[in-house]
Amino acid sequence: MEKIKVKICCGTSCFVMGAAQIQVLEFDPPADIKDKIEIEESRCMNYCHNTAAKYNRGPFVEVNGELIEEANFEKVVNKIREILDGTKD
Amino acid sequence: MTSSLFIDIGSYQVQKSGEDCFGDTIYAKKIPEEQRIIGILSDGLGSGVKANILSSMTTRMAMKFMEDNTELQRASETMMDALPICQVRKISYATFSIVDSELEGKTRIFEMDNPRYIFIRNNRLFDIKGREFSSPKWKDRKICVSQVNNLPEDRIIVMSDGVTQAGIGNKKYPLGWGRQGCIDFILKTLRQDPYISSSALAEKIVNEALSKENGAKAGDDISCMCLYFRNPRKLLIVTGPPFNEDKDREISEMVANYDGKIAVCGGTTANIIERELCLKCEIDKTSFDTKIPMASKMEGVDLVTEGILTLTDAYRMLKEGIDKNSNTASVRLVKLFLGSDRIDFVVGTKINVAHQDPNLPMELEIRRNIVKKIFRLLQSQYLKEISVRYL
Ligand code: FES
Repeated sequence: MEKIKVKICCGTSCFVMGAAQIQVLEFDPPADIKDKIEIEESRCMNYCHNTAAKYNRGPFVEVNGELIEEANFEKVVNKIREILDGTKD
Repeated sequence: MTSSLFIDIGSYQVQKSGEDCFGDTIYAKKIPEEQRIIGILSDGLGSGVKANILSSMTTRMAMKFMEDNTELQRASETMMDALPICQVRKISYATFSIVDSELEGKTRIFEMDNPRYIFIRNNRLFDIKGREFSSPKWKDRKICVSQVNNLPEDRIIVMSDGVTQAGIGNKKYPLGWGRQGCIDFILKTLRQDPYISSSALAEKIVNEALSKENGAKAGDDISCMCLYFRNPRKLLIVTGPPFNEDKDREISEMVANYDGKIAVCGGTTANIIERELCLKCEIDKTSFDTKIPMASKMEGVDLVTEGILTLTDAYRMLKEGIDKNSNTASVRLVKLFLGSDRIDFVVGTKINVAHQDPNLPMELEIRRNIVKKIFRLLQSQYLKEISVRYL
């Protein structure tokens, strides 16, 4: 099965909003998703600049291309599990 | 004419064991308008407070005379007249070594009664014939003047007799470590570490001298000042996107054509350069840290970091000292700063709207301000040559 792509923004705004806690996924991921994800850190993905779209609520994480706003560790892990569950049946 | 050299000047001292202050004084000054550096080391008679007063008076007077280019005989007579006379030896007593260097390469060295300076060129001792001279008023005091045109990688080392006489009276060093012992040690050190900084070299020499003393207790003040002439080590710091996007190309070309090390501090800035120069930029996971975003790797660039947080942390370390055993992006940046002689900042002035967001849990510095703080500190405290350009 193809791995789930997790792209974490580590730009300044996202970082101060808590992106570092999400990076734990890379170094110490929960056992059930450990081999099923592929982490990529990114520099500012430009969502934070997009004030017109009110996208100033980082940290931003993309899971298989789907954007998660105000992301945190749980939100991202839940999203990953959701996708995994979806592919099971 | 050779292009202007950079002079790395550094010193180290320990005081005589049991005294509360240095009897030797070292004083160095850059005169940017004249592209000149003057370094003075003086050893006051005796030790402790009295010696300290004698040697500080000597260095201050000598510095003033050197800066004003006072004629040598007048300067030395005035100095000898001004210093108090020792009751026992009936001489006004403080020795000195003065190194007066122009960045174009000309150096003059004036010495009175200190151990002779050591001049290293091509990893060998280079002997320069000096001219001796004494004033009719103080016949028994001789000043030796030598002059040399410096080349890159030359080193000049001056020291107080605490260095050469270290260990005197020991079984192993009945006559002290000696100038020759010191020369051998310097050559050996330079073989191991040819690009060692002046302050590190001075510290090594002084500690080596100290190790010759009985019980490693300094029997006299031990002081050393080193000068290292070299082609300037250049560093380009590019931070922030330019105010006008049509300058993106210009910034990228500066990076492409720079003849020195390069650091890019800022995600957006890195994106611009990646795009304009078609380079690949990848996160470097060995720099992981929970407080500072990771560094990236880009071909032809020595360091790529995030912007504001990294710069703010670098500024903190420049003030408080570098974090030990850490490999964060900011530690790497500070190491680049400290290893460079000339630092060219190119600062993009576009404001990042996201940083002004009141929802951010902490206040972010404005790029221009933090850069200003950094380069002022690099200039005043670390004596780096700085240029700044805003785009
Ligand atoms: S810092 Fe994450 S989108 Fe800009």
